[in-house]
Amino acid sequence: MPDRVTMTDISKRFGANAALTSVSVAFQAGSVHALMGENGAGKSTLMKILAGVHRPDQGEILLDGVKITPAAPRDALDAGISTVFQEHSLLPNLTIAENMFLGREPMRHGIDHRRMEAETAAALAELGLRLDPRRLVSTLSIAERQFVEIAHGIKGNAKVLILDEPTAALNAADVEILNRNIRRLRDKGVAIIYISHRMEEIFALCDRVTVLKDGQWIATHDTADITPDRLIALMVGRPLQDLFPPRGQTTGAEILRLTDLRLTARSRPLSLTLNRGEIVALAGLEGQGQQLLARSLIGAHLPHGGTVAINGKVIPAPSIRSMQREGLGFVPEDRKEEGLFLGLSIAQNITMGLHARARDLAPARSYKAVVARIMAAMKVKGRAGAPVASLSGGNQQKVLLGRYLAAEVQLLVIEEPTRGVDVGAKSEIYALLRDFAAKGGAVLVLSRETLELIGLSDRIYVVHDATIMAEMQADQASEHKILEAALQGGRGADV
Amino acid sequence: MFDLMGRNSRQGMWAMPLGVAVVIGAVLSFGTAQFATAENLWNLVTQAMPLVITAIGQMLVVLVGGLDLSVGSVISFTTAILALDAPAWVLIPAVFVLAAGIGFINGFVVTRFRVHPIIVTLSTQYIVLGVTRILRPTSGGTVPEVVIAAVSGSLWGVPFAALWGLAVIALAWVLLYRARYGLHLFAIGGGIASGQTEAARNFGLKDRRTVLLAYVACSCFAALAGVFLAGRIVSGDPNVGLLVELDSITAVALGGTQLAGGIGSLHGTVIGAFVLALLANGMNLANVSPFVQTAVKGVILMAVVGLQSRKKMGL
Repeated sequence: MPDRVTMTDISKRFGANAALTSVSVAFQAGSVHALMGENGAGKSTLMKILAGVHRPDQGEILLDGVKITPAAPRDALDAGISTVFQEHSLLPNLTIAENMFLGREPMRHGIDHRRMEAETAAALAELGLRLDPRRLVSTLSIAERQFVEIAHGIKGNAKVLILDEPTAALNAADVEILNRNIRRLRDKGVAIIYISHRMEEIFALCDRVTVLKDGQWIATHDTADITPDRLIALMVGRPLQDLFPPRGQTTGAEILRLTDLRLTARSRPLSLTLNRGEIVALAGLEGQGQQLLARSLIGAHLPHGGTVAINGKVIPAPSIRSMQREGLGFVPEDRKEEGLFLGLSIAQNITMGLHARARDLAPARSYKAVVARIMAAMKVKGRAGAPVASLSGGNQQKVLLGRYLAAEVQLLVIEEPTRGVDVGAKSEIYALLRDFAAKGGAVLVLSRETLELIGLSDRIYVVHDATIMAEMQADQASEHKILEAALQGGRGADV
Repeated sequence: MFDLMGRNSRQGMWAMPLGVAVVIGAVLSFGTAQFATAENLWNLVTQAMPLVITAIGQMLVVLVGGLDLSVGSVISFTTAILALDAPAWVLIPAVFVLAAGIGFINGFVVTRFRVHPIIVTLSTQYIVLGVTRILRPTSGGTVPEVVIAAVSGSLWGVPFAALWGLAVIALAWVLLYRARYGLHLFAIGGGIASGQTEAARNFGLKDRRTVLLAYVACSCFAALAGVFLAGRIVSGDPNVGLLVELDSITAVALGGTQLAGGIGSLHGTVIGAFVLALLANGMNLANVSPFVQTAVKGVILMAVVGLQSRKKMGL
């Protein structure tokens, strides 16, 4: 296969940090090329250079053998290099069609909305989507937005398509639709560069894989010639015995009991128990009520019936504050939006939980010792005074966990514990959660990555249609069994 | 018309101030004999015109999350320049060149040095006001004949003021809804309002230039309002634009444009300006003291905008 893009000897510094050091890599037409590495390895920087967002300090880029120097995103787009960025990059107050054509709107006595809408509908239909192109992006779900971003990237006869973690917000069915489209584009001769932390996707989809570490090129292999273990070892720079810590040995007293809880007016009642020392997972297809269940537990959603009991005591009217008082902590999926204060320092984010419990006019202690202890225990890299926004995804997640550990919560509800977290930090976070449980805490975990739930937890509840369909021991569970349990009950069947 | 999913829902809640305007108009029609006369209504349009023009310019800046506090000074400055002793063919182009220069400075400092728009335009407000007072400490001088003629005549019973208004609205409409420029303003403002300041640039938009041009356009609209006022008062007046910047922001906000950016509309802004004009006109007819008028303006602003934010749409 001919080389579509050749990046040679690319270096880039941001201030004192070398983000990339003399990286050379070639991407072929008609092939899917995975770019892997821990967060901070330089994948995104390399792709932003190709996309014209950053300019390299040295090195050259050839596109079909011709040297290009994209100085702005526009230049790269015009050259046929399209990017779906990791951050949500659509404009919420514009329609789907306007987003698709922004910057290259067709004109016909003014902006030709009709043509934009017709072509957008066609582009969405190619992806198997039926969305009205006149809808504002702010009215779309996260998965729908992701597809619109992808449709935007594909449009305009891209020669090169860069996908930066495109599946982070997608469920299994949507991932399958996406993969089908990626293969279709590959067969049309597009060079696809695919960044993802999900190992299964890499091996199912990609032809080649390049590993970066600390801004340097480590290796490029055909995926047929390499195993997942070997790939992880290349990324973390050391062989990884096991991503997951051993399961818990003993379980203690019951800490949480949900009885006949009805999440929505129509859903069937569910019951659930959680003991000290346990990590329990909520599994199932995406959007089946797992999030709602977690939110009724923390007091952010009012269920339609049933009781919540903590340590055997029924909580009459669960609210966020009353549940906090009972020793419950919640780590939300969208840590940037719902969890962390990005502009504040690591120390302030960690002590937030302690301050929140104090009275409003109580003097604010600095809790220096607590912060130092937590940061050391969690191996957070960085100064206590550094703003959280400057940390990698893994370190951000640790800071958020640290807040609850500092507040000495008993029961931790955690959503997507390793979203946007690199492999090395993933295993550290798993170990921290296990350690928390071993010391007498209890964890309820939600994740889109079923393998993560199986590896991490002791017991699994399968959630479907806003109720619990099945309960199984994690060491006997498999993705197949969970899916079967979720779908077998089906709507209306009595269990 | 009232779809909640599509493009119309980023126009902001202009229907509410329209309702307010209709109610005020209806009350005045029944309550006073003088209101619903052709003479008074044309008078109302003429009185409203400087604010309509200024508010339209202000809206362009507000759409990208900015504010321009210098427009009042630009208006006074324009009247002072027009009252200088020089031929009309020099003065009239000169006021627009000068206004564009002020807008350029505003936009340049905001986009390149990332200084907050309030600080930047507050500074130019002082600077331009100072220069104006040096030029013309008290009101006086005479503006060119052609300027006076352009605002005081009428055509088939329609005063020139209304034609000015239509022309400005048509110009702004093309800029905002037909040209790419308007869509890019909305796009950049939407990015700013939702915290994705890089998003528009990733689409290949020249965001800094677009924002800078909004400040230039805003100043030029203010200069046009200044030319209009100069024709009405026939002389240069260093105080004629005083506090117009606040009225223009009031009109923009009343019309449903979100100060965070990305949501708003031309028609809303025009409606907002007319609500203010109706209030002033009506309360003058009803012999309400100007002090009470100011207080009522504040109450209406808080009530209308307060109700809007409860149903913030589009973002």
